[in-house]
Amino acid sequence: MSNKVAIIASNGGLFDAYKVFNIATAAAATEKEVSIFFTFEGLNLIHKQSMQQLPMPEGREHFAEGFEKANVPSIPQLVEMAQEMGVKFIGCQMTMDVMGLTKEDFIDGIEVGGAVTFLEFAKDAAPSLTF
Amino acid sequence: MSLKVDVKLDCKGLACPMPIVKTKKAMNDVNDGQIIEVQATDKGSTADLKAWSESVGHQYIGTKEENGVLLHYIRKNDDDNVVEKKFASTITNGEIIDRAASGGIILDVREEAEYAFGHIEGSKSIPMGELEDRLVELDKDKEVYVICRTGTRSDLAAQKLAEKGFTKVYNVLPGIGSWHGDLSNELK
Repeated sequence: MSNKVAIIASNGGLFDAYKVFNIATAAAATEKEVSIFFTFEGLNLIHKQSMQQLPMPEGREHFAEGFEKANVPSIPQLVEMAQEMGVKFIGCQMTMDVMGLTKEDFIDGIEVGGAVTFLEFAKDAAPSLTF
Repeated sequence: MSLKVDVKLDCKGLACPMPIVKTKKAMNDVNDGQIIEVQATDKGSTADLKAWSESVGHQYIGTKEENGVLLHYIRKNDDDNVVEKKFASTITNGEIIDRAASGGIILDVREEAEYAFGHIEGSKSIPMGELEDRLVELDKDKEVYVICRTGTRSDLAAQKLAEKGFTKVYNVLPGIGSWHGDLSNELK
């Protein structure tokens, strides 16, 4: 059985962030080696400013109350927890170039790499997930 | 009634994946074979902790609800099976009910929480760690059938009893983990 979980985060909304980081932290807690490849809008999830206020999908703003009531951890909290448990974050170099962003725009501790960096990790990972 | 546990973890009010993440961290302070009680209100935590325990290799014992709080019991590291069993005198699961009926004692040496979630009716509970201090509760003249989940702890307990002068001791194999009859969760 593979001990690796590979995740591609390619969307930048609040729901996307929860999908990515909940699975990632749960996998890390289950002693899996986890890598997340952040590409295109997915880079929002680890962008220093954007990650603080990720948008709800249009027309779903009323869920904000539900999130509060269910005592769901905030995205920055989940990110910190994921890093603490050894989840590896890889920012997509190509997207960063297109968007004019540098490593300094993102939270500390990320790696920057291309598609091959991720593929190398994901080649023997199961499951591989895309959000 | 509260069960004797080694570590308690408060995850009340926390949503997924926090109960799992916190349990994983808390396990660092739990020794092999010890029991953790995870208190949670997240309804999904029962299925999650069960799957998590199986995946990581811990023994999920059971869950009970008390005043709207779920109490999950997990025993760290399910590696009972790998140890070689040394005690020569053994008896099978199938034989002990009849033998006990003619005067023997079924001695269950699992932890209290494991006993609480399912044990043989009429068996006596003394967890392995308390055995040495509670020998007076056992009658040396009677046959003693020592049982645990897989036959490993009971093997050690049987050796201990023999050392202390018990002569009619049997290790029950394969143990409660493979029990086909009814198990009781009534506690006295």
